Amino acid sequence: MKIKKDEVGWLLLFIAPTLILFTLFFILPILFLLASSFTNWDGIDAEFVGFENYIKLFNKKSFVRAITNNLYWCITAALITVPLGLIIALLLSHRSRGWKVFRTVLFVPQVVSSAAIAMLWAAVFNAEYGLLNYILDNIGLSDYKNHNWLGNVRTANAALIGFSLCYVGYFMVIMLAKTASISEDYYDAAKIDGASQIQKDFYITAPLIKSTFFLCIILAVIFNLRQFEYVYLMTAGGPANKTQVLVVYIWNELTVQRLGRGSAAGVIMIALGAMLLLLLRRILKSETYN
Amino acid sequence: MIKLILKKLSITFIAISFTVISSVASAEITITWPSIWVGKDSKTTVIGELIDEFNAANAGSIKVVVEEQTDYDIYAQKLTAQIATGELPDIMTVGAQLLDVLHRSGKAMDLAPHINSDPHWNNVYPENALQSAMTDGVLSALPYELFVTPVTYNKKILKEAGYDEFPDNYDDFFKMCEAVTANGKVCTSQMTGKNGWTSMLWYSQALASAGGPDIYEKGLDHPAYVKAFEVMEKMYQYTTSDAIGADAGVSGGHFLNERTAVFMNGPWFIARYTSDGIPGLHENIGVAAAPMLMGGEGSPGGYVGGRQSSLAAGKQSDPAKEEAIVKFLKWLTIPENVARLSYSSGAMFIVNADLPNDMDRLFIEMKQGISDAPYVAPIFQNGIGSLAVASEFPQALSALALGDVTPEGAVEMLQDAE
Repeated sequence: MKIKKDEVGWLLLFIAPTLILFTLFFILPILFLLASSFTNWDGIDAEFVGFENYIKLFNKKSFVRAITNNLYWCITAALITVPLGLIIALLLSHRSRGWKVFRTVLFVPQVVSSAAIAMLWAAVFNAEYGLLNYILDNIGLSDYKNHNWLGNVRTANAALIGFSLCYVGYFMVIMLAKTASISEDYYDAAKIDGASQIQKDFYITAPLIKSTFFLCIILAVIFNLRQFEYVYLMTAGGPANKTQVLVVYIWNELTVQRLGRGSAAGVIMIALGAMLLLLLRRILKSETYN
Repeated sequence: MIKLILKKLSITFIAISFTVISSVASAEITITWPSIWVGKDSKTTVIGELIDEFNAANAGSIKVVVEEQTDYDIYAQKLTAQIATGELPDIMTVGAQLLDVLHRSGKAMDLAPHINSDPHWNNVYPENALQSAMTDGVLSALPYELFVTPVTYNKKILKEAGYDEFPDNYDDFFKMCEAVTANGKVCTSQMTGKNGWTSMLWYSQALASAGGPDIYEKGLDHPAYVKAFEVMEKMYQYTTSDAIGADAGVSGGHFLNERTAVFMNGPWFIARYTSDGIPGLHENIGVAAAPMLMGGEGSPGGYVGGRQSSLAAGKQSDPAKEEAIVKFLKWLTIPENVARLSYSSGAMFIVNADLPNDMDRLFIEMKQGISDAPYVAPIFQNGIGSLAVASEFPQALSALALGDVTPEGAVEMLQDAE
């Protein structure tokens, strides 16, 4: 669509509020972040230090670990959480008896405070009185009687990421909503052709909600790149920095008043996010936006 | 017509009354205090009473409003952010590790002119206590709460394991832990969550024992840092299975419920042995100096401790509010009020206060321990002089406890954090 010359003024007028707010609350802070990342700003004084913060960050095992962990979170979300949400959405799209109950139950974690859920799961995983160990002990796995799930380097990440599967309901609801928009004509035609329910799911529903599925993957990657509250509340990046993620790392830098280095970590996180999104766009082509 | 005039006059009168009332009400100075002495803290009750009494005595002119901060670490992090942004609360309690940055920020109220103009301060504080807290003639925070962290142990559990006395060296201490474990109990309460408080205190004791009370001046290359981690490595063989990742509530909870035999914390925890401990716990508790490392540079009976919370205020542009804040700080430092706080909680304060004769037995034993101690060395968190190193300590400790690094590796993690 071509914009006429006399429409440009109106166009600018209408987008101006958004543009101003976007610049004020997004562009300027990013520029500030970028500028402060080249300083040793401690909240009080700042001196230009060039790329020192970036060099130090990439030489730190805990920072590299944070990036790796974030990538684990993103991959898990893209390869497990969202596909699981798709499967559940396909099952619930049959509108079988009790489907609304399942939908509601799976969506509940979205409406409960994440801090409360994190605390609850920390108690479930507790080594001394946790429910998980109690159940394992009662089914004969007594080796796990006092296993510290969140305090063990081998299980802490798995426990955290595994628990994040609770959030499958969010993506399930998005994809389920999309299934409602699929015309019944397709299913009627398939029924006449003798298609089974599984065939209908795989050859009609799944392809027609493909764009929503890809959108969910992008959302999941963005959410998991920003992962903070569960890690902070359940392990604070420990034990031994093994569950460290980028936002918790940045937070820790800020609390020890290394705001310059925290800014550098923030810039790296933004760059990483942009690269991931570009990569996803390339992989998923333009399906998401169609 | 008259009715209409009367009606209009009534409305005008009511409106004027509201305006006057609201302007009178707004003349009241409100002081906000994000306080950590709330919730389960042992000072909660008396601090609440002191605020209520102050507000009642200054009704209509000053009102102190508490913002409850139940998590010490989150409070410190919030304060750090507020110092950086310059948006300090009216009154705050500042830990020793933030005193330097608070002073450098220049955002805190300088209390020195008030100290110099009112004899109250020098009357209630020990000689030079306030002067030594000044930097370049500026007093950014009033020293208030003191602490030492001796070992507290459960005499009943130790007796069942065959020990009547608390060991004075680590070789005997670990033999005792072996005996306690064989008896079906856990020897020590440890934690690596948040700032690793309890374990950090143990580490500080071992550090001072290995390297002497001036260990923090010797740098992280000093072998004492490795030796102290060797002690901690062994200590984690005799602790609860949830110690890694546990916070102070979990760590203290084990001792309060007699699941562990030995615990280390400050005197403010004394009241909780009675209020939150299982019945009879307080009677079973003994106080001792931490064990010593053979061949170390420390001295037997040496304690760790120092300044805990200081009272500070944000810089004010309104002189009336500044006066109101100083008045409240003065109220908190009146010896009778400090004595009440100390009596109810067991906490120690720098202010000279006549304490009642029936102070808690544990408090008296701790006080005696301090007066007998050859030194009171700073705790690691305050002595190391780096927020980044202090904050890396729990991660280094958990890596050590899980066998991920050696004691030398744990020190390297601290050095790497600098």
